[in-house]
Amino acid sequence: MAKRIVIDPVSRIEGHAKISIFLDGSGNVSDAEFHVVEFRGFERFCEGRPYSEMPGITARICGICPVSHMLASAKAGDAIMAVAIPPAADKLRRLMNLGQIIQSHALSFFHLSAPDLILGWDAPPAKRNVFGLIGADPSLARAAIRLRQFGQEIIEALGGKKIHPAWATPGGVREPLTEAGRDRIRNWLPEAYATTELALGLSLTVLESHEEEALIFGNFPSLFMGLVSPDGSWEHHGGKLRFTDSTGSVIADQIDPASYKDYISEAVQESSYLKSPFFTALGFPGGMYRVGPLARLNVCERMGVPRATAQLRAFKQMGRGSVTSSFLYHHARLIEILAAIEHVERALDDPDVFSSDLRADAGVNSLHGVGASEAPRGTLFHDYTVDRAGLLTKVNLVVATGHNNLAMNRTVAQIARHYVRDEDIPEPVLNRIEHGIRCYDPCLSCSTHAAGQMPMRIRLIGPDGEVRREVVRG
Amino acid sequence: MDRGLLVIGFGSTLRRDDGVGPAVAGAVEELGLAGVSTLCCTQLTPDLADPLSRAGAAVFVDASVERAARVRLRRLDPQGSGQVLGHAADPRGLLGLALGVYGRAPEAWMLTIPVRDLGFGDQLSDTARLGLGKAVRAVRALHRRLLSRGRP
Repeated sequence: MAKRIVIDPVSRIEGHAKISIFLDGSGNVSDAEFHVVEFRGFERFCEGRPYSEMPGITARICGICPVSHMLASAKAGDAIMAVAIPPAADKLRRLMNLGQIIQSHALSFFHLSAPDLILGWDAPPAKRNVFGLIGADPSLARAAIRLRQFGQEIIEALGGKKIHPAWATPGGVREPLTEAGRDRIRNWLPEAYATTELALGLSLTVLESHEEEALIFGNFPSLFMGLVSPDGSWEHHGGKLRFTDSTGSVIADQIDPASYKDYISEAVQESSYLKSPFFTALGFPGGMYRVGPLARLNVCERMGVPRATAQLRAFKQMGRGSVTSSFLYHHARLIEILAAIEHVERALDDPDVFSSDLRADAGVNSLHGVGASEAPRGTLFHDYTVDRAGLLTKVNLVVATGHNNLAMNRTVAQIARHYVRDEDIPEPVLNRIEHGIRCYDPCLSCSTHAAGQMPMRIRLIGPDGEVRREVVRG
Repeated sequence: MDRGLLVIGFGSTLRRDDGVGPAVAGAVEELGLAGVSTLCCTQLTPDLADPLSRAGAAVFVDASVERAARVRLRRLDPQGSGQVLGHAADPRGLLGLALGVYGRAPEAWMLTIPVRDLGFGDQLSDTARLGLGKAVRAVRALHRRLLSRGRP
């Protein structure tokens, strides 16, 4: 008899995520789905507004990656104005995006994932969190907070104290970096390097002791997508799209992000509000691809800075062709933090960051514009259509959590197949399933305000819809 | 804001009444009360443990969908908190983080405001607007009380 296990985080705002694990009649896992609310509500909310307001509005979608939305939105506005922004503005946007990558990756690795990795799967949820980490290694916990603050410091040095500054605007940015801001960031660099190197060492130790997880947590062939520079270097804000496969072969390259719809289609699954993007040429679901740190490191050839490039070389030795295990997202995240710090250091020496030539002015010169940027979790597209007055008639946001939807489903299924037997889901198995999702660091804050821990409701449902078993955690 | 009163309003300003916490923090900021600083955020994140550890007192301001339809101020104690799938911490967890990492947590309160509309939008409902005014008065009263005790 087929059964369905549902892991359902409860949120007070409509729109939430849950995990469903489907069992066949023999009690074996047949499939899994991770459901997330999509952005359509925000998209409709934006229609009718001036495109120039969008960076400020979309920055308020998410408390974790406001900068990503702001920058992608500003780029879409650039396209509508059909302008090339001043070089200084591009450099400053990049600097802010680097700060965003640092702060978000630090949160993901240290506060969300490290407790699992350091304290172990068998630790109860009450212990397997950042407080457990404090008990285990208080100096690491303090350093982790400081590293995230470093990323925030970069963002605030550019955009001010307000949490969602409309600092980036169509055509450029509003303010340059000040010398005082540069000095604050520069003074923080040695500590940021030290914490990141410490974390990289810790991560390597974790990988040695988690060989099984590396084999089971989302280890399967897929495509990978990310932005790269013209010479194939790591990109996070400019460049073009590249797709590689699990052998490491480039299957599509230097694709203008504005033509993403020519390469990506979106499948609709009855059981989920979230669409499942796939690489069109390979069909559904064969065109499944992953985005984010793992993908960005797989698609690029170098990081553009020496220390991170050395780490990248070692990283690429962990796979045959591409690194195919999603468990390696964690390590990839740390390499990206290192790269970001190096790029920040380099940017601080560029006199352009103090320039006052920051904005290109123009009206509406194109009725359609696409902005793409690498958010911490993966490639983010803002796709706007406007009327002659610049009012939005259509908005489409394609976010990393959507890109990774198919891969997250596959990851949960792979973990569940390995550990779940019939109706028995012991705590350590739940922890592993949760962690499989955490590898991708899906951002749900757009849909779940979630003041407090999200309790989890795990339900085993029979084919008749009857709840066979229910466990509430948290 | 070292040893003063820190007011943290949190919630999404694109989900109508969920933005009432930041709205209260903004209104308190405009009052310019001595020794009071404010922070607005969509959600609570671990780095807030640092300013919390340096505050003398703290008020977390949030929307509430609880049935008790009144503005409510209650004491909070630091507590360890489990993190499951999301990125947000809860106020007691943040206080616990401040205590665990920095060795001190401020005297703290949770100020909740009843709301009724959490749909997409950036306007507060009448219910939330009414609560906003009461919440600001509650912060002022707390500020006076703390001043009478020599703080903030």
